[in-house]
Amino acid sequence: MTCEDVRRFIPLLQYGEISFDEEESVHAHLAACTACADEMQREQTIHRALDHRELDPSAFFLRNCRDQLAGAIEAERAQAPRYATWWQGVTAAFSGSAFSFSFVRPVGALALIALGFLGARMMPLGGPLGIQSAGLVDPANARVRFVEAGPRGGVQLVVDETRQRVISGRLDDSHIRALLLSAAKDPNDPGLRGESMEILKSRTESDEIRNALIYALQHDANDGVRLKALEGLKPYAAAADVRKALSQVLLTDANPGLRVQAVDLLVQNPNEGHIIGVLQELMVREDNPYIRLQSEKALRQMKASIETY
Amino acid sequence: LDGKIGAIALATQTAARMDEAALIRAAQKGDAAAFEQLVRAYDQSVLRLALNLLRSQEDANDIYQEAFLRVYRNLNSFRFDCSFHTWLYRIVTNLCLDHLRKRKVRKEEPTVITTSEGPLDRMDNVPEERAHGNPERKLLSNELKGRLEQVLAGLTPRERMVFEMRHYQGMRLRSIGEVLGTSEEAAKNCLFRATQKLRAALGDLV
Repeated sequence: MTCEDVRRFIPLLQYGEISFDEEESVHAHLAACTACADEMQREQTIHRALDHRELDPSAFFLRNCRDQLAGAIEAERAQAPRYATWWQGVTAAFSGSAFSFSFVRPVGALALIALGFLGARMMPLGGPLGIQSAGLVDPANARVRFVEAGPRGGVQLVVDETRQRVISGRLDDSHIRALLLSAAKDPNDPGLRGESMEILKSRTESDEIRNALIYALQHDANDGVRLKALEGLKPYAAAADVRKALSQVLLTDANPGLRVQAVDLLVQNPNEGHIIGVLQELMVREDNPYIRLQSEKALRQMKASIETY
Repeated sequence: LDGKIGAIALATQTAARMDEAALIRAAQKGDAAAFEQLVRAYDQSVLRLALNLLRSQEDANDIYQEAFLRVYRNLNSFRFDCSFHTWLYRIVTNLCLDHLRKRKVRKEEPTVITTSEGPLDRMDNVPEERAHGNPERKLLSNELKGRLEQVLAGLTPRERMVFEMRHYQGMRLRSIGEVLGTSEEAAKNCLFRATQKLRAALGDLV
């Protein structure tokens, strides 16, 4: 094995990624060749240097990530319960195990009665298999789930229908709240998100609602919705999760109006270590003179340097 | 004795895999506790990978959230034709690669900045991540640290990814290839190129 071969193998040897025979040959060569042995030592020094730069997420950081994920998943779950198949969803709704809405059973029973009644009305008199006319459903509001060819050219379809219902209730009702939280994340309708946010922001004493507001503040694409979320979070400007979201707004939000409000809220309670880094970063990248002024003032109050060097 | 220990280890691994399969099936049926257990089994290593790759807590958190939300949304499409670890890491590495590529395009500020007192890693301002600070770390010359960061930032996203997974996550090249949808040999070449670049850039300092 030549010196060139050995030097090619050295980095892979460090990772134990060469074969047993190759490793034997490399070690035999290193024992006899000082230049390659030096090269091996250099490689080991680089490895140690690399090891020292490794970052381990702190327990606090991990917990924050987990909490945020739990909130996001809860919001998803509120939006649409997940089942392996659509049929599981139907059965779960009626079994009551996965879907705890107590009103589902009576409503389901009534729906079945209504379906039977309608079915009887719609069934053609001479149809032995009960294959119905497709005129029953509006194709724009329906989704075909299952299709089966019937005898004599007929066809049987299983269809999900979307129907509008008016539901009234108070925000104390968890079902109403879940629907509102779901509407607050509707990706297709910023108006609906804004209206939902307007209602939700009056009930920020609930963790669930506060998390939804924080999520909207950080992720909603619409400036108006983010602004409403920020307004709702104002009473909690001293809470760690809210401050974290405000810091993110300050550093990443493109809307200067939101950034101005965020800096005002953050500097109300400036005596925190992590805020210094955010404010110093702002001094480097922020163009808005008011935000720069507020940041500078807060940094001076905290006796921190104005910029990072 | 070795044989006995090996058998016990194999049995433990098999049991763990069976437990995981049961957890996945339960989570697929909508069991929230099972999903949480699955997340907790992997989330620390996912977060560590993202944090070390991106050197930013905010970006690492974004990757974490997006990866596990995708897992949540798509768990029903997981068909056990690869390990859950491989499936999850495919999602995570794709997200991280996208992020690294965007960073290259945007030419974002590197984590290392040059100051009058030499290169400074901005991640050093992040509170000490380990439970006990490592005094040896402080002895490492600023110049070497700075140079390391610069070289790593200069690697291609794929080289960086392979390097991180091999060096910091301790994954075998075969698994890395599987995750990245490439061969073990291609992953090995990537790792080799990354180490060559490191050696070339740091040669005069070590």
